[in-house]
Amino acid sequence: MTFAQAAEEHLDDVYGYLAWFTSDGLAAEELTAVTFERALRLWHRYDPNRGSARTWLCQVARTVALDHFRSERRRTRREQLAAPPEAVEFRFAEGLSPDLESALARLTAGEREVVALRILLDLDVGAASRILGISPTNCTTRLNRALKKLEEALHVAA
Amino acid sequence: MSQRDLVAELHAAQVPAPREVRERVRRIAAEDASRVRRPFPWRPALAVAVPVAAAVVAAVVIARPEHHTSATRTMPAIVHGASSAGTALRAQKALPAPFTPKRVETVAASISLRLPSISDGVRRAVAVATSLSGYAASIHASTHGKTGTADLTLKVPRSHAQAAIDRLSRLGTIVGERIDVTDRQASLNATDRQIARLQKQLARLRAEHASAKKVAALTARIQALQRSESSTRRTAHYATIAVHLSTPPAHARGAGHAWRDAAWAVAGAAVLALLLLAARAFRRRREDVLLSRP
Repeated sequence: MTFAQAAEEHLDDVYGYLAWFTSDGLAAEELTAVTFERALRLWHRYDPNRGSARTWLCQVARTVALDHFRSERRRTRREQLAAPPEAVEFRFAEGLSPDLESALARLTAGEREVVALRILLDLDVGAASRILGISPTNCTTRLNRALKKLEEALHVAA
Repeated sequence: MSQRDLVAELHAAQVPAPREVRERVRRIAAEDASRVRRPFPWRPALAVAVPVAAAVVAAVVIARPEHHTSATRTMPAIVHGASSAGTALRAQKALPAPFTPKRVETVAASISLRLPSISDGVRRAVAVATSLSGYAASIHASTHGKTGTADLTLKVPRSHAQAAIDRLSRLGTIVGERIDVTDRQASLNATDRQIARLQKQLARLRAEHASAKKVAALTARIQALQRSESSTRRTAHYATIAVHLSTPPAHARGAGHAWRDAAWAVAGAAVLALLLLAARAFRRRREDVLLSRP
């Protein structure tokens, strides 16, 4: 598989993962481009025997996203002194109910990440835990906790 | 809504990448991957370089005492069965000092000993010299952990030189020994004869009422010869004994030390592993904090 093939095939997955992870459409677009730029530079390191290209691209995307979160945290700390940031409206996906959208927005970034990997991208627990750098058990626990929070939020909304 | 319905709704969600992003990624992917400059692999390089550097430092630190010992002065002239590698010898009797008490001789001896404690050896060597009416002219001692060396210059009356060498040789294992005896009696006799001849010449000059300048020059020459003669006698009164003390090399410290060193190495590796685990846990914790906000 060439890099161009991998990029074409998994672009939506990487974008979707980053969009749900960051809950920011503009940031997700920028981070997707950065992810593929970095992935191109590191493509020689990709080993198909160790995992699928999708998993590898998600690992690169996660590193890019964590860098983004760190720089955002520093930026917001500075800017909060001057003026509180405005809430940005973001739609997670077409066709989701407003209650579910709002429940997703209330999840933490870490919880949205595991939901995106395990449900949106439909990765198996082994691949998802490898991307997250945690054990499969921990990954499952984290997913269950996130789903329970979503369920409770929806129950309250109903 | 049940959890199953929830998962089904989430699973059905489609998040397609916007067209601009797709175009941008296509342009990135169209770049010739072979022309992309690969970053220098710092992590693998450090993973190799750090252990290698640590091993080199450890080798230098461990080898230093041994190197120090091997740099000690060797005694090439008279060495009792010393191998070329300078390995430790069994304790042997000291060389007899072949000097004649009634003649004026300068005695210079050097003795190289291996013993377990440098500070104790220095103390006892100085005690030997002082007990024989001698003294320590110089002491240079250095230690690295349990290894070390010391160089002493002892001055002992010539009549006690043999006793001093015997007692010093019992302080540890003799590694090398050398004794130089130079007879000064013949040159002193010649100087005596020359002084007598010059004194006769001086008496003749005085009888002939020679010039004061000639008398003064001859007198000065006689005095210089007399000073030189007395200096030689003073020097010959004391024998100079150079003592070199060293501890056994680090590798000869026994199997117990090897086990202890191995245990230290294992403990060091365990501490390093714990630090790495702690750093990883710390990084994970910070990551969790970072992702704990909506």
